[in-house]
Amino acid sequence: MPTENFKLRNPLKVFGYNDEDILPKGGIGAVLARAGIGKTSFLVQIAITAMHGNKNVLHVSLDDSVKKISIWYKEVYHHISEQYGIQEENRNWERILPHRFILTLKVDGFSIPRLEERLNDLTEQDIFSPDIILIDGYPFEEQPEETLADLKRIADKYSARIWFTVRTHRHEDTGPDDIPVWFKHIESLFDVIIQLKPDGKKIHVRNLSKDALQSKKSLLFLDPSTMLLKESK
Amino acid sequence: MENEPGKIRNIGISAHIDSGKTTLTERILFYTKRIHAIHDVKGKDGVGATMDSMELEKERGITIASAATFCKYKGYEINIIDTPGHVDFTIEVERSLRVLDGAILVLCSVGGVQSQSITVDQQMKRYNVPCIAFINKCDRSGANPFRVIEQLKEKLGHNALAMQIPVGLEENLEGVVDLVSMQAIYFDGDNGEIVRTEDIPDHLQQQATEYREAMIDTASLFSDELTEAILEEEEITEELIISAVRKGTLSRELTPVLMGSAYKNKGVQPLLDAVTRLLPCPEDIENKALDMDNNECTVILENDFEKPVVALAFKLEDGSYGQLTYIRVYQGIVSKGTSVVNVRTGRKIKIGRVVRMHADQMEDIDAIPAGYIGALFGIDCASGDTFAGMGIHLSMTSIFVPNPVISLSIIPTDNKSQINMSKALGRFTKEDPTFKTHFDEETNETIIEGMGELHLEVYVERMRREYSADVTTGKPRVAYRETITKRAEFNYTHKKQTGGAGQFGRIAGYIEPVSDEEFIFENNIKGGAIPTQFIPACEKSFLNCLKKGPKLEFPVTGIKIVLEDGASHAVDSSDKAFQAAARGAFLEGYAKAGSVIHEPIMKVVVETPTEFQGAVMKLLSQRRGMIVGSQDEGLQCVIEAEVPLADMFGYSTVLRSSTQGKAQFTMEFLSYRQVPQSIAEELVEKFLK
Repeated sequence: MPTENFKLRNPLKVFGYNDEDILPKGGIGAVLARAGIGKTSFLVQIAITAMHGNKNVLHVSLDDSVKKISIWYKEVYHHISEQYGIQEENRNWERILPHRFILTLKVDGFSIPRLEERLNDLTEQDIFSPDIILIDGYPFEEQPEETLADLKRIADKYSARIWFTVRTHRHEDTGPDDIPVWFKHIESLFDVIIQLKPDGKKIHVRNLSKDALQSKKSLLFLDPSTMLLKESK
Repeated sequence: MENEPGKIRNIGISAHIDSGKTTLTERILFYTKRIHAIHDVKGKDGVGATMDSMELEKERGITIASAATFCKYKGYEINIIDTPGHVDFTIEVERSLRVLDGAILVLCSVGGVQSQSITVDQQMKRYNVPCIAFINKCDRSGANPFRVIEQLKEKLGHNALAMQIPVGLEENLEGVVDLVSMQAIYFDGDNGEIVRTEDIPDHLQQQATEYREAMIDTASLFSDELTEAILEEEEITEELIISAVRKGTLSRELTPVLMGSAYKNKGVQPLLDAVTRLLPCPEDIENKALDMDNNECTVILENDFEKPVVALAFKLEDGSYGQLTYIRVYQGIVSKGTSVVNVRTGRKIKIGRVVRMHADQMEDIDAIPAGYIGALFGIDCASGDTFAGMGIHLSMTSIFVPNPVISLSIIPTDNKSQINMSKALGRFTKEDPTFKTHFDEETNETIIEGMGELHLEVYVERMRREYSADVTTGKPRVAYRETITKRAEFNYTHKKQTGGAGQFGRIAGYIEPVSDEEFIFENNIKGGAIPTQFIPACEKSFLNCLKKGPKLEFPVTGIKIVLEDGASHAVDSSDKAFQAAARGAFLEGYAKAGSVIHEPIMKVVVETPTEFQGAVMKLLSQRRGMIVGSQDEGLQCVIEAEVPLADMFGYSTVLRSSTQGKAQFTMEFLSYRQVPQSIAEELVEKFLK
């Protein structure tokens, strides 16, 4: 398949969204799952799809090193290339790579003002201007409302879309749809909520957003061998 | 030289520039009575540290060539290779690591694990060298060995295990607490030569107990006896702990951490104890060679003096004593008067003088047995050659040598300099496989090639100082390459019938890009359209065409040429005719194959205080750099970028001035990538001028 004019389709579109980006500008999305289920892999796929569409992705990680995240991207990209039969994998990779910027911050040193300071550095000097921001590994449950308000403001200010991972735990009290009770309180602040839920050997991808169509809520799953998103048959 | 392999330690001291490894080596040599006075790296007394024997190194305060030296400590023979600290000289580091059995990774207690430490650590991993860490400079303000231990775990992925804790820190550093013996160790005398052990001070008792427990806990994973002793609540002896930690260290699953300050003479003797107790002896390490008679099958070498000799020449030096070849003997014994064969050249070599070196002093010996490092005089060989006993044809695995990425023209100012320059170049290319040289007949210039700006600068400087060769240098030139992006067909007929014998040859086929190989030639001609005897002439001609690409005369790489058809003439076809036809065919195909220029891209890692993060990133972007990411680490941050080498000239000066000298960077070759259109146009313009 030729690469220059080829656009990857956002797999989340099967949920019935019109917009390729799913999230509106200034919107916030969350990916909920327990540890080790594939949140980062999921985000990386969203990122690669966006990078293919010439959108800039800022990947903020609070757990992993730049090197480790780069390896994630390379692996996922390799699987995507195989799946879509993308030729000249390396050349295409070099083409989309400038659309990514990895920023790693230590969890204990992380704060929204600090993130904003870094963002200012990048945008004011014209180094990188993100269209999508991915925040991976933030211990969100500690101060959800304050963080969200700040994140909303940042998303608006930069006209960006923000996705972040929310780690859930086995021992947490959950509602009927398996969402932690603490998260229920802030659910309405999100434009899109995706949950990754293991079921036997499959990992189902469920759209928990309020406006999602019931019939299309669970049309996706993560292929455990490649961790790529696939449509359920 | 005693033949007790269990008591030999071949170690390297690897570290970031400026973390004090040369000072540490000096102290080791002083305490093992190899030297009788201590000099500092940038010594006020003008003598300089003993291991830094090259004048240039003394001036810059860095170690370039790895001098090998040995010392004796408590009945053990320790051979030390002082490895260079700058990334531009990594071939030296890599070669040293090849011959080492273990290493001390020196880290600065203030700077911690820096990008250079990461490079050095990766090299140690590649050669599977077990190591212990020494956190130096604990007397400096801002010293925090525990933070460095965390960094060892996080950044380098080591299972770092504190074997000591400091008694006091920064200017109050007094000594260390040994967590194995649970004693405080102090260093008295003018130069810390008197080691005094005392009870642990009360205020450190609890901390020491906690760290000891953690140490025993981790060590127990490597010893059932130790686990049993813990469970049975038996007495945990020093031997039990040491043997468990040693086991973990040898398998590289554990990195014992010691600490101190070499400059203030604290903690060096316990480090030497750790070298003898925790690092491997030659018998602990499995060394492999390739059997050249048996399809390069791997052969395990035995640390046996009776077996035929296998030795590796890992360093050449041309000093005041003539040419000196440093060797490591892996099997057998290299003795004066015996003969060996240089496996690469097949030449027989008679061993003359055998010596043991201590920086620039030496001692004559009779033989170098397996496991030892020594030096030979008057041997003609290149660095990396293997010497084998008569009748065997084994070669040590080849050392990975990267291709040069930068070149520089050098012109001698007079005739005498011309002669000296030739001598110097001959020596340097033998010493360092990453340094290459050739004569460009078109420009009448000698070209030197290497791994970076500093790499070449140092050799030019050495030419001037050591060989009195006065040379002027041109601007550094980047090693661009040409390649093609699409398949293109050719069908070319070379016909000449004017005067003399005629010439005729037709070649048809196609060229296409390949990503993994530099050049592939395929002959798919069936039915003898081109007679077989002319095919080599075609290939040779294609290869010639690749040396200078039609676009900008850069070498052409990543190309596959396939011959499918052709024609010949019974009288007029010849090698010459088909060479001309191949040249024409190549030019025809190349013109249609979407040729592009590729340039070397460097991986640049900058460490800077956070306040300069923005400025550093801007500098990199201005140089066509693509910033991969930025890692925030509190006060410091590490920025990783991929930058074209062409835009990295003079970067160190600019970086220094825009960060008040507080940032540092490393750079290594990453890959070749296509030059953007605008830059390619500039290159074409320059070329046409």
